[in-house]
Amino acid sequence: MLILSLIEARPRHGYEISKLIEQRSGGAVRFHVASLYPLLYRLERRGWIQGRWVEKNGQRRRRYYRLTRHGRRVLAAQLRGWREFVAGINRITEVENA
Amino acid sequence: MPEWKSEILRRLASLNLAPAREVEIADELAQHLEDRYQELLSRGETPESAERAALDELRGEDLLARSLRPVERSFYREPIAPGRATGNFFSDVPQDIRYAFRILRKTPVITAIALLSLALGVGANTAIFSLIDAVMLRMLPVQNPEQLALIKFRSPASAHLRQSATNPIWEQVRDHQDAFSGVFAWSPETFDLAHGGEVNNIHGIYASGSYFTTLGVRPATGRLMAASDDVRNCAGVAVLSYGFWQERYAGAQSAIGSTIRLNGHSFPIVGVAEGSFFGTEIGVPLDVAIPICAEGILDGKNSMLDDRSSWWLEMMGRLKTGMTVEQADARMKVISPQLFGAVVPQDWPAKYQDVFRKYTFAILNGDTGTGGIYGLREQYTRPLEILMFVVGLVLLIACANIASLLLARSAARQKEIAVRLSLGASRGRLIRQVLTESVVLSSAGAILGILVARWGSSLMVRYVSTQQSQVFLDLQMDGRVLGFTIGIAVLCGLLFGILPALRGTRVDAMSAMKEGQAQAAGGRSHSSAVRWIVGVQVALSLVLLIGTGLFISTFANLMTLDAGFDPNNVLMAETNIHNAQIPDAARASLYGQMLAKLQAIPGVVSASQCWVTPLSGRQWDNSVTVPGRPLPAGVEPDTFLNWVTEGYFETMRTPLLEGRTFEARDSATSMPVVIVNQLLARRYFGSQSPIGEHLLVGSGGTLTLRMLRQPMEIIGVVQNSKYSSLDEDFMPEAYFPLSQIQQNVAENTAFEIRTAMTPGALIPALRDAMGSVNNLASLQFTTLRQEAGDTVAQEHLLAVLSGFFGGLALLLTAIGLYGVMAYVVTLRTHEIGIRLALGAQRSSILLLVMRDAAIVLVVGIAAGLLGSIWITRLVKGLLFGLTPNDPVTMGLAIAAMATVALAATYIPAQRAIRVDPMIALRYE
Repeated sequence: MLILSLIEARPRHGYEISKLIEQRSGGAVRFHVASLYPLLYRLERRGWIQGRWVEKNGQRRRRYYRLTRHGRRVLAAQLRGWREFVAGINRITEVENA
Repeated sequence: MPEWKSEILRRLASLNLAPAREVEIADELAQHLEDRYQELLSRGETPESAERAALDELRGEDLLARSLRPVERSFYREPIAPGRATGNFFSDVPQDIRYAFRILRKTPVITAIALLSLALGVGANTAIFSLIDAVMLRMLPVQNPEQLALIKFRSPASAHLRQSATNPIWEQVRDHQDAFSGVFAWSPETFDLAHGGEVNNIHGIYASGSYFTTLGVRPATGRLMAASDDVRNCAGVAVLSYGFWQERYAGAQSAIGSTIRLNGHSFPIVGVAEGSFFGTEIGVPLDVAIPICAEGILDGKNSMLDDRSSWWLEMMGRLKTGMTVEQADARMKVISPQLFGAVVPQDWPAKYQDVFRKYTFAILNGDTGTGGIYGLREQYTRPLEILMFVVGLVLLIACANIASLLLARSAARQKEIAVRLSLGASRGRLIRQVLTESVVLSSAGAILGILVARWGSSLMVRYVSTQQSQVFLDLQMDGRVLGFTIGIAVLCGLLFGILPALRGTRVDAMSAMKEGQAQAAGGRSHSSAVRWIVGVQVALSLVLLIGTGLFISTFANLMTLDAGFDPNNVLMAETNIHNAQIPDAARASLYGQMLAKLQAIPGVVSASQCWVTPLSGRQWDNSVTVPGRPLPAGVEPDTFLNWVTEGYFETMRTPLLEGRTFEARDSATSMPVVIVNQLLARRYFGSQSPIGEHLLVGSGGTLTLRMLRQPMEIIGVVQNSKYSSLDEDFMPEAYFPLSQIQQNVAENTAFEIRTAMTPGALIPALRDAMGSVNNLASLQFTTLRQEAGDTVAQEHLLAVLSGFFGGLALLLTAIGLYGVMAYVVTLRTHEIGIRLALGAQRSSILLLVMRDAAIVLVVGIAAGLLGSIWITRLVKGLLFGLTPNDPVTMGLAIAAMATVALAATYIPAQRAIRVDPMIALRYE
């Protein structure tokens, strides 16, 4: 879900994804190469994301991943589930604290 | 910069990934590590610590491999090296087919040419075969057609079977036979729907009451004929065919119970036969059936019902269960004397009556009986066989074409094949793969071919149909035709696939991968095989071209021959005054009035009347004797007769060679006169003039003429002319004047009208003129040119079709030659470049390349010539005015072949001399 939401807006390459996860979570969540790429390949195999080699001016060839249509639907469903889950947790914790 | 990739590859090694995938992963991960490394460096870390930190991302030696394993294992299956044995024959087939499609898509031009050649080749074969199937192989669409047998008979003096029976004979068979569970008889007849005026003929039959029940035909609606409908002095009923019912009545139920007017007599329609039934005669359409007894109604006092020498009925029977044809034959032979004895023609001379009593029945089955009666089969078996042979050759040429194309392509694929062999493919498996490609190709060609055939065969049927005899064939694709098509498709696929498969896979993997000379060497051995194929193509095409030339010359000879008359601008009006009920004695004067009206029409140059229209197929013959001038032994005294009016020879433009033509002074009371043709004159009088001599026409025949009893004076000699068909020899002929005929003047005659304009334009005026004399006379218009064309419909068909196929063969061969030469030139580009660089003249290069083609051509032409000399003997009977080894035809065919072949080679040869030596050498 993390990866899917990161590439929702635009295609990103692996390193960019790992940096973004690390930054946005304030260093709390970190993927290593050994775990990130197998995960990306798995998502790709499921058809949720698609990787493509892109050569930009002056840069080296990188593989950019973009969300597929199928992936977009999966992401939407996951976010909905997550929000419900968070809301549920919140309701529980709010009751305890009150 | 640290070597990330080797670190990653080491960790991936245990996964045994496909090389391409392994490299891809390593690239991506190395990029990631490099990014990380650069970032750490930019933060001020030392290179050593940055490298350590980056490598740390891989987390030890085996984490990467462990987490990738479940993902990659099912993700990337081992790529299949096509041709690698998997041990399961059938599981490989879909893969082979998929792969074949991919290969075919990769070379669209070759595939398109191959498909086009195949579609035409297979289409032509299927079209001809479906005709053969419909005409020669198929059984009648009735219940258990194998039980049906034809009932014929033969005279003891002759081995020939009599074609038809008299009604008295049929009645004997119907009432006394005990070999069949049922017997029936029928006779084809055209009926006129119009009552006077222009005819509107439909195809009908007189059928015995047992016709439909014995055949097992069911009604589509209403009822069919029953035995009670076919009794003497019947009122008559009509049964329609399904097609006619649909066409004329739009399938309306109200047709049943209404009446249909045939030859001026109304018959109540009682029912419609089921849709699949089209009669017992293959190729002849059937519209309506009326009972045999109705012949008495339509023909009145000329009825043949009790005539013991009118032969008009066909007979068929359904064998009793368990009875064989031989048993039925034996049974019928036993009762023959009794049956024939009861119906001896009383007016025959005693000698012939004795012969008649010894007639015996003969029962026939097999392809003569169960398929119906085949005028069409007899007429078209030979041409169809020839056409089948021709289209077979075309298909062979198409196959050869495709084989050479595939062979050329397989040379280009040598490296691919070599790679596959080195990856462990077995040669057998590769051959199978290549053959699968051919079969996929030929199957696609066959599907297209079926479409071509559907269109082609109906076109051909339209071609063989003439105005006089329409041809109707049930051209449904049945299992046999489909099987045939599939069969030839697979055969073709194997035929044009086997050589490329064998050649293409015989590759030395090592040397093939080392480009350069190895490929050239392989190419050379390929091109020699291709040369062979093209040589064969040239030979086959030449055979076809010579055949085509023979058939076209035959047709041209027939159309341009001097038929003894000028068929252009002559309109024929076939007239029948039966409906008008004119007494015998008044007919000649009625005809006279009609003729006068016709001659008065503006645009009519001249008009005349005759009984036997030339080339109409009608025939009147009798023996002729000249007192004191016996014929040499062995020469038949048979002469073909006709009666004509005064202006006949002028209208037909038959030249008068001696004496005079008929004039007004030749009347009923004057001396009987006759005009003979050259052949008859020469036969009896040699080089002497026959004018003033007399001849006698023997007694007998259906017409009894006053003058037939007495000698007639020969007053003129005319040029020979064709009597019933253009492709027959001239016959001895004798013409009498209508003015001297007093009895039995025919009701059906023909007027010839020579026009100053297009004959068709005068039809309305002629119709009005004839109608003003008697509006009950029925008329049928045709042109003499059309009648002449109809008699050579078979030759026309052969000329047109063999012309088409000959052209097709030439085109295919040209494509083949062009492809091969272009290929050879490409192979030799390097060599030509070197030669040019060393100072060779471009003209000598052109010669070098053309010489290659010329050798193939000369060998092919020589082989083709020998083949055609051997083969054209077989078509001798179908030729007219030339011999099978006609040197002109052969010369023209060779010239055409050589011209086309040289043109096809010239283009690639031109390309060869335009080779830029620099580019050719750099090509290495």
